[in-house]
Amino acid sequence: MMSPPAVLSLARLPMFRLALLYSALFALSTLLLFAFIYWQTAVVETNRVDGQLMHDAQFLAHLTPTDLKDTIDTRLMPDFRRVAHAGLFAADGEPIAGNLASFPAHLKLNGIVQRCDVIDAHLVIRAVGLALPDGTRLVIGRNVESLDTLQTVVIHALALGLVPAILLALAAGALASQRTRKQLQKVHETAERIMKGDLRERLPVQGGGDDFDRLASSVNNMLDEIARLMDDVKSVGDNIAHDLRTPLTRVRARLERARESVTTQGEWQQTIDRAIAGLDQALRLITALLRIGEIEGGRRRAAFAPVALHQIAAEIAELYEPIAEEKEVDFVVALDEVPLIAGDRDLLSELMSNLLDNALKFTPAGGAIRVSLRVEGAGLRLEIADTGPGIPPELREAVFQRFFRSDASRSVEGYGLGLSLVDAIAKLHGFTLSIGDNQPGCVIMLWCPKA
Amino acid sequence: MSGIMKTNDSPSLVRLLVIEDDQETADEIVAEFTEAGYEVRHAADGPQGLALAGSGNFDIVVMDRMLPGLDGLAILGALRQAQISTPVILMSALGDVDERVRGLKAGGDDYLTKPFAMAELAARIEALLRRPALSRETMLKVGSLEMDLIERTVRRGTREIELLPREFKLLDYLMRRPGQVLTRAMLLENVWNYRFIAETNLVDVHVGKLRKKIDAPGEAPMIQSVRGSGFMLIANG
Repeated sequence: MMSPPAVLSLARLPMFRLALLYSALFALSTLLLFAFIYWQTAVVETNRVDGQLMHDAQFLAHLTPTDLKDTIDTRLMPDFRRVAHAGLFAADGEPIAGNLASFPAHLKLNGIVQRCDVIDAHLVIRAVGLALPDGTRLVIGRNVESLDTLQTVVIHALALGLVPAILLALAAGALASQRTRKQLQKVHETAERIMKGDLRERLPVQGGGDDFDRLASSVNNMLDEIARLMDDVKSVGDNIAHDLRTPLTRVRARLERARESVTTQGEWQQTIDRAIAGLDQALRLITALLRIGEIEGGRRRAAFAPVALHQIAAEIAELYEPIAEEKEVDFVVALDEVPLIAGDRDLLSELMSNLLDNALKFTPAGGAIRVSLRVEGAGLRLEIADTGPGIPPELREAVFQRFFRSDASRSVEGYGLGLSLVDAIAKLHGFTLSIGDNQPGCVIMLWCPKA
Repeated sequence: MSGIMKTNDSPSLVRLLVIEDDQETADEIVAEFTEAGYEVRHAADGPQGLALAGSGNFDIVVMDRMLPGLDGLAILGALRQAQISTPVILMSALGDVDERVRGLKAGGDDYLTKPFAMAELAARIEALLRRPALSRETMLKVGSLEMDLIERTVRRGTREIELLPREFKLLDYLMRRPGQVLTRAMLLENVWNYRFIAETNLVDVHVGKLRKKIDAPGEAPMIQSVRGSGFMLIANG
C-alpha cells in the first residue's frame, strides 16, 4: 500500500473527519452559549444602571440648586455603589459640584442615558445630562468598567475552557482514528496478500470482542469457506486433468510407438482403433461431466411425470441380467409393485443403470448382486447390494463427489463419475442416497418419499 | 470405410447436403461420403443452406444445430413449412436432452451430439435413407430366417428358435433392416428406448446372446459385427 503523509491520510479517515466535525460543533455551541450569557448579562446590567441613572437624574432635577449641590456632595458622591460620577456645571461649563473636572465631551443634554468619555480620567461611563431651569447642567454617570470586566472574564473563560476541550476532542479523534487506521491498514494488507493468492492468511482478531473483531471473525469464516471450496474445485480440477491425461497419454504413446514399429495395414488399423477408443474414453468423461452439470442445473424437473419405479428398475435389471450371467455373478431381483412417484424416466433409468454398472464392475465372479424395492414408511426403498470390496465408512460421503475413486477401485476401468451422476439425479428428485455395509460388499440405498 | 454402404438398389447417386460452418468438420464429412459414392454438396452458412435444401433436390440433409446467419432449427422449421420432407439429421455440440427434444420436435429425424464417430453418422444416414415402410406384414423374412409377428415365433429354416421378449424385439429391429449397419447407440435407443451411454458392453452382450440362438454351430453366421461401427444382419443362408 502507498503511504501518503500521515496527516493527509488521517484527514481522509471517516473517523477523524467525524472528530473534526464534532469538535467544530462543540466549539460553536459553546461560543453561542457564552455569547448568550455575555449578552444577557451586559444588557440586563446596562438596563439596570440606565434605570438608576434616569431615576436619580429625575430626582435631582427637582431639587433646588442649593439642595442639589448638597445632595451631590453628601448623598450621591459617597454612595460608590450607585453613582460613581456626578457633576453640576455652570452654563459656561465651570464645575460647581461633583467629581467631574470638566463637562464630558459629546454628552447631549437630552435626559437619555448614553455612553461618553471622561477624558481626564480616561474613563468610559454611562451618563445622563440634563439642562436645569437655572441654566446649570447636571451630569450623573456610572462607571461601567464592570461590564468590560465581564467581557474579559467571558473571553478568558472561553479561552480556558473551549480551547483545551477542542484540542482534547481533536486528540481523542486523532487517536481513535489512528487506531482505526491501523486496524484498517492491517485488514487492507491482509486482503492484498489474500488477493495475491495466499488464501491461508486471516484477518487479525484482537480478542476484545468489539465490532472490529466480530467483523474480522465473519470475514475469516468466509475465507475458511472459500478456501474449502477452492480446495474442492482444485481437487476436482486435478482429478479431471488426471483422468483426461491417462487415456490421452496412452493414445499418444500408442501412436508414437506405431510410427516407429508398425508396418502392415492390419497393424495400422489396430493402432488407429485403439487410439480412437482412448479418445472416446476421454470424450465420455467430458460428456459425463456436462451431464452432471446439466442435471445439477435442475432444469429437467419440468419434465417430471408419474413413473413406476418398479417398472424402471425391472427394465434396467433385465438389461443388465445377461452381463451378470456372463460375469458369473448371481443376480437376484426382488421388486414389489410400488405407488407411482413423480420423476424423469430417462434419468431414473440412468441412475439405476449406473448403480448396476458399478455393482457389476466391483463384484467378482461367484459373487452376488441383489436389487430390491419395497414400500417403507412414507416412502419407497430401493437397494442394490453387492459382494464386492465394499466402501469403508469414512469414504461413504466422499464417493459421491465428482471423480472420487478409492484406491481399491483405481485398477478397475471406469471414470469415477457414476456415483456423482447418481447423486445429482437423486438430489434432483429429492431422494436420499446412502451407503451401507453388505458384509461383505456394499449396499446402496435410495429412499424416495411418496408423492 | 467400413461403416458406409452404398445403396445398391438405387441406380442414381444419393444426394447429400451438408450444412456446417466449421470448415474442417465439413471437409471430413464431404470427403467421407464422396468416397462412399454419395453426391455431396456443402453449404457453410444458414441462408445458403436453406436455399439449397429448399430446392428439394436432396435425399438427405446433415445440418449443424448452430449456424451463422440462420439457426438450424429455423431452417428446419422453414423446410417443413414449405412441405419439404427431406430427412434431416441435426448435429450439435449441445448434448442437453432438452436440445435433442427441441430438435426432433422442430421436424428433425435424428440428432447427433458432437463429437461423433463418422460410422455413427453413416449408419444413421443409411437408416433414414432406407427407412422401413410401416408395413402391415405379419411375417418378416431374411434369408432362411423367418419371424411370425402374430404367433411370435422365429425359425431358421426348419429349426425353431426360442427367444426372450427383449431378444424378440431386438431381432425384429434387425430383420426390418437387413444389410444395414446398426450402431450400439441406435440399438440402445430404438430397442430399449434408452438415450444414456452405458459404460459396459451392454449391447454386445445382448447381441451375442441373440447370435448364439440364431447362428447355430455349423450354420453360416447371419448376425455380423461391423468393426468400429456395430452390427448387421445379413441374408446368409
